[in-house]
Amino acid sequence: MALQLTIVTPEGPRYEGPVDSVVVPGTEGDFGVLPGHERFLAPIRIGELEVRSGNDPSCRWAAVGGGFADVNGERVVLLVDTCEFAADIDEARAERARARAEQELEHKKTARADQFNFRVEEAALQRAVIRIQVSKKKGMAA
Amino acid sequence: MPSLKDIRRRITSVKKTQQITRAMRMVAAAKLRRAQTAIESARPYADRMRETLREVAASGVGSEQPLLQAREHVKHVDVIVVTSDRGLCGAFNTNVLKRAQADIAAREADAPALSIVPVGRKSAESFRRRRAGQVVQTFTGIARVEYAHAVEIARYVTDRFLSGASDEVLLIHSEFVSTMTQRPRCSRILPMVPEDDPAAPAAGEPAKLPYKIEPDAESLLRVLAPKALEVEIYRALLDNQAGEHAARMTSMESATRNTEEMISALTLQYNRARQAAITKELVEIVSGAEAL
Repeated sequence: MALQLTIVTPEGPRYEGPVDSVVVPGTEGDFGVLPGHERFLAPIRIGELEVRSGNDPSCRWAAVGGGFADVNGERVVLLVDTCEFAADIDEARAERARARAEQELEHKKTARADQFNFRVEEAALQRAVIRIQVSKKKGMAA
Repeated sequence: MPSLKDIRRRITSVKKTQQITRAMRMVAAAKLRRAQTAIESARPYADRMRETLREVAASGVGSEQPLLQAREHVKHVDVIVVTSDRGLCGAFNTNVLKRAQADIAAREADAPALSIVPVGRKSAESFRRRRAGQVVQTFTGIARVEYAHAVEIARYVTDRFLSGASDEVLLIHSEFVSTMTQRPRCSRILPMVPEDDPAAPAAGEPAKLPYKIEPDAESLLRVLAPKALEVEIYRALLDNQAGEHAARMTSMESATRNTEEMISALTLQYNRARQAAITKELVEIVSGAEAL
């Protein structure tokens, strides 16, 4: 039996369809979900999402922002801030974002600026790094 | 009686205005369509979020999450008032601001101190004029609403709430009902306690959670509660955006209609004046010929 995966972000639904299994980056570590999993809720960190399905190899890897997962037997709903599949990621752009975030972080560290912006930049860097990692896996899809 | 030349000049000027209003109407229509799509796409996320938060909070596990706790003495209220950055959209902003003024006055009658967080330039300008001392922070220049904007605003009010600077946060914005109707609406967004929720279970017997939460409910709520707040604000921003474009579209449509009426009235006047001039010239020629 297939697992019904739904990924929604505030900007709109990102994925909807049957898959074999997913590996979700939870805040307490990655966890895999197979069909028939017991119902549970878990927060998601910024990380890589792995989707395994036989018929759609293009959607294997995705970079997701924070959020949470609602697992319910045959259905998995991921509510995340962002979700980009490997094929949609512009690697050059991600690379630029990383460079900019690193620069900002360095600047903030020396300027001893407020913690708030530091955390924002840190998250931006994290997202950029994940995006780059995911987009490198593009080739592995097939 | 204006001269022929004057009328002609007037007609050209009105025609130019018409070009502007017509263009603005079309731009607003295109932007409205995009704004509506944005609302549509945000809906599933917001609905799921609200549902999950309700379930988790109703189970009574949220007792330690500060964002979900109502405070006994509300001494300080923050009010977020959302309007658009630009004008020329009919009574859209005025309606929100009027509602805000009324709500603020009503709250002040209960005596709590009050701070205002305007979002959008029209709101910022209005409150800076009327209640400059109470404006604590403004958010303007949102050309196109993105989730990050909501995150920024949410973070600001959450910080104030958690630090004790405010005990309650109200959100006043335009609800997008349809292209013709935008309704100003006031809701309490912090603390996140359902004000009158008939579905809420009776106190003392927390509903059983139908599922397991990993690692535990408290840490899930720590993630979930701020997100739910962000979504609430995001939704308000999107509604405001769609409402602004809808209001601009309708008001520009009627403006275009008005210019059409004006042009036809002026053209009539112009033709009459032309006719009168011709008649006058004829009379002059005829009487000149008779005199000979």
